[in-house]
Amino acid sequence: MDLLRRLMAVQHERGAVDDAALQRIARETGEPLYRLEGLRSFYPAFRERPGAPARIAVCRDVACRMKGAKGYARRLREVLSDVDAEVEEVSCLGLCDQAPACAVNDVSLSGAAEDIRDYSLGVSPLPLSPETPPNAPMPTDPHPGPEAHYATARALIGGSGAADARRDRVIQALRDSGLRGMGGAAFPTGDKWAYTRQAPGGPKTVVCNADESEPGTFKDRALLEWQPHLLVEGMIIAAWVIGAQRGIIYLRHEYERARRALEQAIAAAREAGALGGDVFGSGKGIEVEVFVSPGGYILGEETALLEALEDRRGEPRNKPPFPTVSGLDGRPTLINNVETLAAVPVIVERGADWWRRQGAGDYAGLKYVSLSGDVRRPGVYCVPWGTTVREVLELAGGVPGDRALKAFSPGGASTPFLPASALDTPLDFDAMREAGSGLGTGAILFVAEDRDLLDIVLAQTRFFRNESCGKCVPCRVGSHKAVQQIEAALAGEGEPGLDDHLETLNATLARTSICGLGQVALLPVVDALARFPDEPSFRVLTSKEAT
Amino acid sequence: MSAREISLTIDGREVTVAEGTTIWEAAAALGIDIPALCHSPGLRPVGVCRLCVVDVGARTLAASCVRECEPGMSVRTDTDEIEGHRRTLTELLLADQPETSRREVSTGDDALYGLARDLNIADVPFPDGAEAHPRGFDDSSPVIAVDHQACILCDRCVRACDEVQHNDVITRSGKGYDVRIAFDLDAAMGESTCVACGECAAACPTGALVHKRVLRAVGTSEETA
Repeated sequence: MDLLRRLMAVQHERGAVDDAALQRIARETGEPLYRLEGLRSFYPAFRERPGAPARIAVCRDVACRMKGAKGYARRLREVLSDVDAEVEEVSCLGLCDQAPACAVNDVSLSGAAEDIRDYSLGVSPLPLSPETPPNAPMPTDPHPGPEAHYATARALIGGSGAADARRDRVIQALRDSGLRGMGGAAFPTGDKWAYTRQAPGGPKTVVCNADESEPGTFKDRALLEWQPHLLVEGMIIAAWVIGAQRGIIYLRHEYERARRALEQAIAAAREAGALGGDVFGSGKGIEVEVFVSPGGYILGEETALLEALEDRRGEPRNKPPFPTVSGLDGRPTLINNVETLAAVPVIVERGADWWRRQGAGDYAGLKYVSLSGDVRRPGVYCVPWGTTVREVLELAGGVPGDRALKAFSPGGASTPFLPASALDTPLDFDAMREAGSGLGTGAILFVAEDRDLLDIVLAQTRFFRNESCGKCVPCRVGSHKAVQQIEAALAGEGEPGLDDHLETLNATLARTSICGLGQVALLPVVDALARFPDEPSFRVLTSKEAT
Repeated sequence: MSAREISLTIDGREVTVAEGTTIWEAAAALGIDIPALCHSPGLRPVGVCRLCVVDVGARTLAASCVRECEPGMSVRTDTDEIEGHRRTLTELLLADQPETSRREVSTGDDALYGLARDLNIADVPFPDGAEAHPRGFDDSSPVIAVDHQACILCDRCVRACDEVQHNDVITRSGKGYDVRIAFDLDAAMGESTCVACGECAAACPTGALVHKRVLRAVGTSEETA
């Protein structure tokens, strides 16, 4: 962490991490030059040479693309043409509900090109943000107000009775609640805590994966900005249960507002005695810190995240071993998503039964969903598990322009699109899998009937190609070649049987890639080709004759 | 105190090995040569080329060079599915190879070419990368000829330089499809802290890093096939 933090400090101060800076760091730390080159060249936050004083990054991914990101980038270049500024395209910023989105010197925002110009020139000092946080506690916040924050941790950790029995009860409550990982992998949370607690060795660490970068997903952004105290409390409880004294929040650097909110929450937690040397009289110290990622979607892959924390290139590890057994520095590490950890205080406070009752029918709990694309009121919604996609769409005002829905993808770029006939699928991991897709992060992207579906699924595959770390052959080369071949077909230079070829290539990526990115990279296209056989935009790939 | 022993089956044959043995090693003990490009005994395995993948009955195939044997494991190294993936992975790598492998024309032991022969690969169904996306030569070192186009990012030179010789010169640089190897802060090899020990060229399975003396000896330094 120290080396990357050092590089980021240099980048922030000087606008670049040049060779002279790396030579100096090498002398002072004893690190070989090659390691510093490896880090500088891998992470998007670092530049070799300072660019223009105003750097505008425009999102190129699917929700923003649907809202005219290409034209937006063009307009921004026009209004900034007389200024020392550079406009570049970047991957999903997590502002899909405010598409098209951009970032000015790492502050994410959206707005008219002229307003962005004014902000980047310092004419208007306030970052534009139409969002205002809710002024009442959110549905998963058990605390009536700030003065009650951390009360659940206090009662638990400072409570009476054998400490281990209290820890057992927390794990049982998590198991009974049915809580599963909200980062997309859906691993049962109670089990993960139990394994990490039991794993031999230490010191153990709790890591919050706050690197939310899956296109269409921004629920963690809302949770971090509006109720950071729940995450901090969840981490404190996790640390106490598994026997860790350290918590690290791995935060994407595009979430600057969230970072400030987290630092404030951490300070407030310390004031409340929830962090520090002897937490609530337990005799154990717990500390939580924020680590800002130097960038890249792959850092949301848990082992790539660990590599970054160990000051290496963020390239996923082969698994097994899993982080619960061998994580940060080879020790047992609990890694959970923001939403997962933020759900812990209310489950501990009100019990698993309360949590289960919040779900629709036999489903359990509350889910934060991110809605974007062709929907009237995009944003983050908190809904009971088991709510159907149709109900959520109605809640958000339906498809604008009275258009019918062509398709939706329920869980981010990794999850295949389903047709409108699947709208009555409940929001649930198993139900969504049975329907042919996956709930993933609960990021629902709606696609209206007049959209070009090939353009949309290709945007997803391009995202994975753009974000590939490059370590393993199938993903590094396969994702690149696939996009090349599809683009050639779109340009009229396609080869017959491209759909069969992509299916073969997809199978290799799915079965041989080291990590989930490679495994799903071609799935959006290949699955859609099979699932939407009448989609006109696919003819260019399914044609049996050369185009 | 001896290590715990583990029994498993590989391609229907039972084998007992010490705990910590990888599937690749256990297979080798049975005389099963699982193909690999990034793996070389003597180097820490990294499992990046994915040629050595085997079926252990899980959702994805496991890289046998890094995957440790587990008690009762049932491994298949030779299914039709696996052969298909080996073929695709080899084709992907061949698509970006230069016209000539300096290793193949000098010492005749380019491992990627050898794999292509073993798999009977004739046509490569992927767009050529050498013309569209040339990665360049680096002839600056007096000892090692660098052909970035022939590099398959197997990481063998990185481990050879950093973990065997501890000269600490070579890294992967960049990200995604544009990744290539680099010396120090991406200097030309001849201008870096490289001491020309030759370990990288000895480790390299393709024409990416070749000993110049060998090229001169067979008179092929400028020749193209």
